[in-house]
Amino acid sequence: MATLQGYVDHRVLLILQDGRAIVGVMAGYDQKSNVVLSDSKERVYSVEDGVEEIPLGLYLVKGDQIVLIGELDEALDQSIDLSTIRAEPLPPIRY
Amino acid sequence: MSEGHGAARESSLGEWPRSTLPLSLLNAAQNKPMLVELKNGETFNGHLVNCDNFMNITLREVYQTNAEGDRFWKVKECYIRGSTIKYLRVPDTLLDAVKEEQNRAREAGRSARGAHVSGAGNRGRGMPQRGRGAVRGGPMRGGRGRGRGM
Repeated sequence: MATLQGYVDHRVLLILQDGRAIVGVMAGYDQKSNVVLSDSKERVYSVEDGVEEIPLGLYLVKGDQIVLIGELDEALDQSIDLSTIRAEPLPPIRY
Repeated sequence: MSEGHGAARESSLGEWPRSTLPLSLLNAAQNKPMLVELKNGETFNGHLVNCDNFMNITLREVYQTNAEGDRFWKVKECYIRGSTIKYLRVPDTLLDAVKEEQNRAREAGRSARGAHVSGAGNRGRGMPQRGRGAVRGGPMRGGRGRGRGM
């Protein structure tokens, strides 16, 4: 049985259908994969300026918008200087 | 294996309130300010009046902005169908409030169950309970096998 239980209280990366990347601590979820993220930040990727982190706080994301949820290795993540990362933002998904 | 499974379930139940259901959070957000973004990119800023299990919501004193963020409207009250929502942003303080409420509910449930367990000790003598008690003397509907097994 696939479940999100193992991610609870861990910092995760969420990719949304519109291409947004949000990191936050998974505070909870439900049967429809709706997800509660605390202390969340959006990571805005750009080729010119490096990654900008926008604080969002407590977020409730609807499950049908979620493309991917992955656990973050916090130690590795903190060792990365986001301002040095240059990347195209993800495009929204295409139907 | 079944034993291990049972133990795992018990421990996860014991720690259950660590996780907050999205709908519990939403219910606790009543009368609180929130930002709602729809799938089409429009956003609605307002106070939550009511919500249901589909995440249909009503907001009051709403500032609506279009997807580009260059135009906005003031709306006294509006209803948003849950299926059109992309995400909701709610006050940070809400998570702790919900967790505290869950802990209170759990403590209340625990003490209620505790009273029950001590009552169950009397079961054999004075208090015929569902199942076993009814079998005694009364017409029974195939209840005996189960009664003995327990």
